[in-house]
Amino acid sequence: MANFLKDEKIIDLENYEFQALNKVLNSSALDLINDIKKADLKGRGGAGFPAGVKWELARNENADKKYVVCNADEGEPGTFKDRYLLENSPWKVLEGILISAYVIGAQKGYIYIRGEYSKPIKIFKKIIKAAENNNLLGENILGSNFDFELTLIKGAGAYICGDETSLLNSIEGRRPRSRIKPPYPIQSGLYRKPTLVNNVETLATAVEVINNGVEKYNALGTKESNGTKLISLSGQINEPGVYEIEFGSVTIKEIIEKLGKGVINNRELKFVVPGGVSTSILPREKLDILYSYEDVSDAGSSTGSGAMIAIAEGNNLIDLMLNVAEFFMSETCGTCFPCREGIRQVCYLLENAKQRGHLTNRDIELITDLSQTTYLAARCGLGQTSLNFVTSILDNYQEELLQGGGR
Amino acid sequence: MATTIIDGQQVDFEAGDTILEAAKKVQIKIPTLCHAEDLSVYGGCRLCVVEIEGESLLKPACATEITEDMKIRTHSPKVREVRRNLFELIVASHDISCRLNCLTCSRNQSCELREIAADVGAHEMRFDPIDKGYDNDCSSASIVREPNKCITCGRCIRKCEEVQGVGIFTMANRGPSTFLTTFGDKGMGNVECTNCGQCIHACPTGALHEVYHYDRVWDMIKEEDKFVVVQTAPAVRVALAELFDQEPGTIITGQMVSALKRLGFDRVFDTNFAADLTIMEEGTELISRINDGGPFPMFTSCSPGWIKYIEHFYPEYLDNLSSCKSPQQMFGAVAKSYYAEQHGIDKDNMVVVSIMPCTAKKFEAGRTEMDEDVDFVLTTRELGRMIKEAGIDLADLSAESYDPMMGESTGAANIFGSSGGVMEAALRTAYELITEEELEKLDFKAVRGKTGIKEAEVEIGGLTVKAAVASGLANVGELMEKIKAGEQYHFVELMACPGGCIGGGGQPIPTNKETVENRMEAIYEIDADKKLRKSHQNKEVQKLYENYLEKPNSHLAHKLLHTSYVKREN
Repeated sequence: MANFLKDEKIIDLENYEFQALNKVLNSSALDLINDIKKADLKGRGGAGFPAGVKWELARNENADKKYVVCNADEGEPGTFKDRYLLENSPWKVLEGILISAYVIGAQKGYIYIRGEYSKPIKIFKKIIKAAENNNLLGENILGSNFDFELTLIKGAGAYICGDETSLLNSIEGRRPRSRIKPPYPIQSGLYRKPTLVNNVETLATAVEVINNGVEKYNALGTKESNGTKLISLSGQINEPGVYEIEFGSVTIKEIIEKLGKGVINNRELKFVVPGGVSTSILPREKLDILYSYEDVSDAGSSTGSGAMIAIAEGNNLIDLMLNVAEFFMSETCGTCFPCREGIRQVCYLLENAKQRGHLTNRDIELITDLSQTTYLAARCGLGQTSLNFVTSILDNYQEELLQGGGR
Repeated sequence: MATTIIDGQQVDFEAGDTILEAAKKVQIKIPTLCHAEDLSVYGGCRLCVVEIEGESLLKPACATEITEDMKIRTHSPKVREVRRNLFELIVASHDISCRLNCLTCSRNQSCELREIAADVGAHEMRFDPIDKGYDNDCSSASIVREPNKCITCGRCIRKCEEVQGVGIFTMANRGPSTFLTTFGDKGMGNVECTNCGQCIHACPTGALHEVYHYDRVWDMIKEEDKFVVVQTAPAVRVALAELFDQEPGTIITGQMVSALKRLGFDRVFDTNFAADLTIMEEGTELISRINDGGPFPMFTSCSPGWIKYIEHFYPEYLDNLSSCKSPQQMFGAVAKSYYAEQHGIDKDNMVVVSIMPCTAKKFEAGRTEMDEDVDFVLTTRELGRMIKEAGIDLADLSAESYDPMMGESTGAANIFGSSGGVMEAALRTAYELITEEELEKLDFKAVRGKTGIKEAEVEIGGLTVKAAVASGLANVGELMEKIKAGEQYHFVELMACPGGCIGGGGQPIPTNKETVENRMEAIYEIDADKKLRKSHQNKEVQKLYENYLEKPNSHLAHKLLHTSYVKREN
């Protein structure tokens, strides 16, 4: 098991060295961007956009003000790896924020932490204060000519704020709903200024790339998935938790069996959600694949946020579908019709099926149509991916659902 | 100019054009719902999604800028299927019940969903209607909101915010509980709503409509001991015909009068008579302000939407408002005093009904300052409804004239219906009253037209009168800010609705740029065709002063024709 991100807990400032930041303040930003690009660091929030490219675009924007935002609104059910970093490696996260700000030329930043994360919020409040008192925030940071101010924003409990443009609206005090793109936040984001939004893990990984050097980092992983990834392992397994995995080093089955120590009560595994409830499930027959962006994608799903949920045999599938669909139904921002009305109708159909005890062919036809429409026409990632779970259950267990939906 | 391919056709486009705009140029109609030309792009309904070669997801045509070499398919099988599904979802959330409430809807003749049904080729409805269970918002004197019919497209929000600069609506909650409401869910009657009714024009469904008075008016007409008089505002005669399938801008004054008589009103009068009267009072007020040195600018007071707006947002300027009641209210006050007395009619048995292009007039009639001068206010749409219900073939009626004593009007009164009209009418009269010379050029072109803010300088007897005109409350707000910043004017005309009363919230649907322009042309045509075009030439108004009021701004005139205003909370 790798341990770039999952190392010892450091809360006290005297135990943290800011090695990467010192290096960055004394070298060219362009070199640094090249390193991040060479490392092919993909955004760890779920969408997987190359961070180096994002940084470069943000740096190239000409503006009197730019912002960086650390997206710590970790809301995807089953995901808790950012919480791990915020609680155990807050200085590393701060270091990542500082580096990204320095590189793109931002003097002001925000860390937007999920409201329910009271412990990380408490920790980060202290971190910001300590940083301000120790010349890590403010003017002329560590004797350089880099000035930077960081503000903590506490989320108010909306999943949609994990979407970067909704998050920006929320910081501005507006109703959180996605913005129409283009313009992208990089061009016109917070208060219409160029804004770089990065996930917590992405920033922490960037720090490790700098600390260890690109070569060492790139030696890890596969061709298309460099380095390591934190996964939040949960569900019906014996040892849930946060694990750091070198891409391509283990199969999903091994993750469940070796890291998670297998399914509870020796029950048989039914399927795995590989990247959070907005990704398609992988049935147990498809789990002999390596954990990497490309392998999971080839199998028809996505690594998403790295939330891996194991589900055993014996659960009622209709219940599970309804549970996930209800989550998305109550979290849609209500702006676009396919997402607001489509998921609502899927929930109605599933509720009826639950009463009845099984799905009908008509249900399957309607849910499939709604899924397709919501995927193709929704306004943002939340809507587009909201019915992946439901649809993939339908695809894999159609016969079972027509019979009754559980055994 | 660059080119791209839409549905196999080469299309020239300008940088910044959206797919929707470019498609229109080659006669391709992409269905839209949340989109409206005078509002910002929203991208919510997704009905306009199109397929772009190389993209896995569909893109909204209203919100996607076109680029070179895009290969776009606007009506591919995939797109059509998605649109049909979306349409089914919309209909399921629109409170159409098995009691066929569609037929009784305020928009049964002008429902946009019906049009879209054809555009998307809807052929089955597979989802059960959702019972949202909201209560209607009946808190306003002017407008009713039926949230169950609302499909949350946000057009009213944007209209109120962007065109009217008021912003009483908001989206609240999330998920399936997302709904459209006013601040704190207080209801339209308890927020800064100006009652202008522009939201009704923005709404694609019947979720917003006026508070109906027509049923009560039917009752009044039926009662034998009631003497029911009706007045018609200048903007109604150039719009009513639209409800009977005629071209916008058709002038239908005589037929309308005839229809009103057939409906059973005891007297049919003209608000224009009162508009001429307003000019006498307001012109005299302006002249005395000029002699007394202010306060300037003097603001017009005929638009009740504007009055409520200033009471909420610029109460520090209430002294600048003309103290004149609006023509509707002057009419009511004169009818219930002068006319009633002259004809021995018991005031308490007299019922005054107005036909107005306006929803705010309903609120105005009920203001405590107004002493029940006007009992019921019908919108142009409500009148159309009554005429239909009575089986009157409006278009083919022969024209009749207004009844005497309060039925005569000059061209000046008629142009009250258009933005700039009150200003022009006032200038025509003020010029002659101040200089005692005949005004040769009657047309003040600088204050005409659909521009939101217009300015003019007019020489009157050695004084350069600085005038400004604004219509649409966002423009009004802009002009008020200019005044606040120190810009000086003598006389300013302000109208709540874009284009003035012809674009009022009670006018036929659609009321848009095109229909407003046509109605405006018609208004000026009526003026140009009149022999008398200056308010002080109105013989019946002259008689009213001779026989009753004595002179403009007299003690009695003040009692009957002037009013006061209140500061309202924000």
